[in-house]
Amino acid sequence: MAVTVLGISGSPHRHGNTETLLDRFLEGAHEAGADTDKVVLKALQYSACRGCNSCHKNGECIVADDAIILYDRILDSDCIAVASPIYTMGITAELKGFIDRQQYLWARKFILKTLYFSDDHIRRHKGVFISTAGLGWDNVFDGAFPVMTALFNTTGFEYYDNVIANDMDRYGGIKNHPTALADAYKKGQKVVGVLESFRPA
Amino acid sequence: MPIKVLAFAGSPRRGGNSETLLDWVLAAMAEEPDVVVEKVALTEANINPCHGCNACEKLNKCVQRDGMDIYHDKLVEADVIVLSSPIFCMGLASQVKALVDRMQVFRSRKYVLKLPIVPPERKGKRLGVFLATAGQNWDHVFNAAIPSVKCLFHVIDVRDADISYLMINNVDEKGAILNHPTAKADAERLGRSVISEIRKRLNA
Repeated sequence: MAVTVLGISGSPHRHGNTETLLDRFLEGAHEAGADTDKVVLKALQYSACRGCNSCHKNGECIVADDAIILYDRILDSDCIAVASPIYTMGITAELKGFIDRQQYLWARKFILKTLYFSDDHIRRHKGVFISTAGLGWDNVFDGAFPVMTALFNTTGFEYYDNVIANDMDRYGGIKNHPTALADAYKKGQKVVGVLESFRPA
Repeated sequence: MPIKVLAFAGSPRRGGNSETLLDWVLAAMAEEPDVVVEKVALTEANINPCHGCNACEKLNKCVQRDGMDIYHDKLVEADVIVLSSPIFCMGLASQVKALVDRMQVFRSRKYVLKLPIVPPERKGKRLGVFLATAGQNWDHVFNAAIPSVKCLFHVIDVRDADISYLMINNVDEKGAILNHPTAKADAERLGRSVISEIRKRLNA
């Protein structure tokens, strides 16, 4: 079975800088032999977490929508590449809305103790954050990292790598960035190689 | 002219910890003379995420027709803007992040179109308050949310130094904040001091 890499695009802007960077990462992964797929959050139907804490009792979300289906797919993937542009120093509301819905998995892990990921499982599951920002500030991604850590931790993925590029406003878009797209392609290849190396020959 | 306070309750859970904290601040503010408080529950405010279309860079307004039609104007009119959010997954609740992202109109107005947000005589006469609660007891649990909050206030002409913060961690289940040793008194003190400061500035 091929390594599975699931790309999740959290940008409301189709085929913009961030989604283009994600596409290159997925192309690299595909070239390295992975089964790749991409889900665009904007095309899904899901609501924000209601904060009702109903899931703390039974580990199930009371809202049945596309978010739950996507979490099932995440849990079935070897690698997830989660992409969002930086808006106002954080990830987009679309991606934050999706990540907030993971509360039922958090409840299974930490309250009900019905979900557990071994160290070996986590090592074999890699999470990658893909992002672009208009601003050139060094700290422009800092608000996003802890949220991505929360997503990868709860879903049993090692936070493996960032594929990030800032200063898009100055470059006039990702296509003018000297290294970002080539780096994304290489990183996509590399993670598949690492995941394949864990498999029995 | 009364002092106008515009407050956003960001939690999807009505009457929970972050909204209780907000209500304490607002009650203390409303007890002062000549203060008009408007509280908006974001979960009922019909505010969609930003489309990232950048049309506001040309139009000086948003192409979306939703709750922000009202709140873009009210954000300009208010003297004090209060934002409350629970921390979900180390960040602002997505409802709050949607509101913050919709400030893009002001960012375009300010930096692309080079137009004023408030008239020059109101500069320095606006205050911001950020209130947050978190279930985790980590000290750093609010850190990732704050840069987004600063963005919101920055583009509506509330200076960094004019933002007050009250953030309470280790309150998770509904009502937990009621047992917090200092939250209520701190909230009431904050509410009174913000009104006193804005009154001083408006009269200056």
